Amino acid sequence: MASPLEQFVNNVRTMSASGNFRELCEIIGKSDEVLQRNSAHLNTVLETLDIQQHSLGVLAVLVAKFSIPQGQGDVDRSTMFQQIHDFINNCNGEQVRFSPDLYADLCHLLTNHLVELKQPIRGIEILKKAIRKIQLFDSQLTSIHADLCQLCLLSKCMKPALEFLDTDVTGIGSELGGNNDSKHFLLYYYYGGMIYTAMKNYDRALYFFEVVVTVPAMVVSHIMLEAYKKYILVSLILNGKISPMPKYTSQVVCRFLKPLSAAYHELATSQRAAIKHREIFVRDNNLGLVNQVLSSMYKKNIQRLTKTFLTLSLSDVASRVQLSGPTQSETYILNMIEEGEIYAMINQKDGMVVFLDSPEKYASPETLCVLEQQMAACTKLHQYIQEMDEQIQVNPQYVKKSVGTHDEDIPATSQNTKTYLVPKSTYSM
Amino acid sequence: MITNFDKLCAELEKQELEAPTGVASPSTYGQLLAIYLYQNDLCNAKFLWKRIPQNITSSNPEITAIWAVGQKLWKKDLAGTYQALAAYNWTEPVANIIRALEEKIRERTFNLIGRSYSSISLDTVVTMTGLSRDAVLHACRDHKWTVNEDGVTINPTPPVQPGPLHTSSEDQLFKLTEFVSFLEN
Repeated sequence: MASPLEQFVNNVRTMSASGNFRELCEIIGKSDEVLQRNSAHLNTVLETLDIQQHSLGVLAVLVAKFSIPQGQGDVDRSTMFQQIHDFINNCNGEQVRFSPDLYADLCHLLTNHLVELKQPIRGIEILKKAIRKIQLFDSQLTSIHADLCQLCLLSKCMKPALEFLDTDVTGIGSELGGNNDSKHFLLYYYYGGMIYTAMKNYDRALYFFEVVVTVPAMVVSHIMLEAYKKYILVSLILNGKISPMPKYTSQVVCRFLKPLSAAYHELATSQRAAIKHREIFVRDNNLGLVNQVLSSMYKKNIQRLTKTFLTLSLSDVASRVQLSGPTQSETYILNMIEEGEIYAMINQKDGMVVFLDSPEKYASPETLCVLEQQMAACTKLHQYIQEMDEQIQVNPQYVKKSVGTHDEDIPATSQNTKTYLVPKSTYSM
Repeated sequence: MITNFDKLCAELEKQELEAPTGVASPSTYGQLLAIYLYQNDLCNAKFLWKRIPQNITSSNPEITAIWAVGQKLWKKDLAGTYQALAAYNWTEPVANIIRALEEKIRERTFNLIGRSYSSISLDTVVTMTGLSRDAVLHACRDHKWTVNEDGVTINPTPPVQPGPLHTSSEDQLFKLTEFVSFLEN
C-alpha cells in the first residue's frame, strides 16, 4: 500500500540520500495538505526520519504537526518545546537553508506557543541559536529576529537581544525580502526600538522607529502608526522637539499618520496636552514615555539657560525653569553634570552655578580613536554602496528601463535596493 | 576581594536563560541583581527585578533588600542608598558584591563632587558619601581638596584625567596608509 504519506517518507529518504534538496523542497511545498490530513500518523513518520540526515523532511512534518489549530485534532503540545528544541540543535544547517521560510515558520510557531504558555524567557536561548544557524553572515536579518525581540520584551529580559540589534543590517534573508509580507521586518524594528527605549538608548531607538516609518509603503500598517507615536515621544525626549521625517518617507505615511496621532503632536507644543489626552496615552500604553517627556522638558530648559548665562543663582534657575526651589535645581543640575548633559560648577557657599563650555578640546587620543572608528565605518559603508551600485547596473530590469525609454527620467530602483539599509545613526558625530 | 564580576554576570545570565521552567534559583537572581547595580546598569536591574516571580521575592527578603538599594540609586538618592545598604545584614555570596558596590558608589560620588562643585559644605559631602565627618576630612586630604578656615566649607578640585594612551607610531602609520589608499581609489 503506497499511501500519499508513505510516498512522502520515501521521497524524503531517497532525495535526502542523493542530495536533491531543491527538488525535495518543491515536493514538500506540495505535500502540506497530505501531512495535515494525516495528523494522527505524524509521530510515526517522525520516528522513521533522522533529524540530521532528513532535516527538511522533519522540518516539514513538525511545521505541519504544530500548525494544526488547537482544538482540532488532538496534537500533543506538551512535547512541542522539546521537539523543536532538539530539531534546532541537531538539524543540518545546509539542508534547512533550502527552505528558510519553513524554518522561520517553525520558529514563529514556537514563539506563539511560548507566548500562550506565558513562559517567553525559555525561548530566548533557542531562538538565538536558530538565528545563528540559518544566517549566512552576521548582519543578515531574518524573520526570526522579530520573534526573538518579542520574547525578550515579553519576558522583560532585553539584554540577549542587544547583540543582534547592535549589528547594523546589511542583508535580508530570502524569506523576508522580495515580495513577501513586510510584517516581520516592521516588527523587528518596532520591537527593537522598544527595547532600546527601555534601555534608555534613545538615539538608537529613534533610528529604529524611523526605519519602521520610512519603509516604502502603499498603505499604512498599524505597526507603522504605533512606531510613529513612539518616534514622536522619543524624539521629544532626545531633542526636545519632533525631528522632521526624512524626505524619502512615503507620502501616504505623512498623509495618514499625522491626523491619527494628533494628541502626540499637541504634546510637543504644550505640556497641558499630557493631562488633556491622558486617556489616549493610557490606551496606547505610552503613559510612561509621556511622563519621561515631561521630566526631560526641565532638562532641556536648563540646557537652554547655559546658552544665555555664564553664572546664575540656584534660585534664579528654579524660577526660570519652574522648579520648586534652589535645592531642586541643585539636584537637577548635579544629575545633568553626572550624565554629561551640561558642564557646570556649583558653588554651594554662594548658591551660584557657573556654566562652563565643554572641556572637550578635540585634541585627545580618545577623539582620534572615535574619528578613526567613524572613518572605518564610512569606508565600510562606501564599500556597501559600491557593491549595491554594481548590482543595480547589471540588473536586467534596470538596464532595460534606462536604455529603452527616455520619457521616464527617474530610473526605477530595483528590488535590490531593499536589501541594503544604510545604518544612518552610526555616522553622526 | 574583587573578583571578576563581568564573567560571573555572564554565567548567571546563562543560568537564568537555561533554567528548564524559565525560573532560576533565588541565589542566581540575587547575585545577578547585585552585579547589575555594581555595573551601574540600572535598566537591566529594573527589568530583572520585574521579571523575578513574586513567590521568590516574597520568600527571599535579601532580593527585596537589594532592589531597595537599586530604587534609591534609580532616584539618585545617595543618602537613602547608604541607609538601604546598611539596613540589611547581607549574606555571602551577595555580601561580597554589595561591599564592592558600596566602594564603587563612593568613588563615583567623590568623582562627581570634584567635577561639579567649586565649593561645597562638609555636611553635604557627609550625606552624599555616607561617611563620618572625620572620614570625609581624611578623604578630602587624600584628594588634595582644601578645607576653608571656617572648617565647614570644602573646595574640591576636579579629578585628574588619566594620562593619554600612547599608540605605536607603526599602528598609526598603518591606519593612515589605509585611509589614504581608500581616498585614492
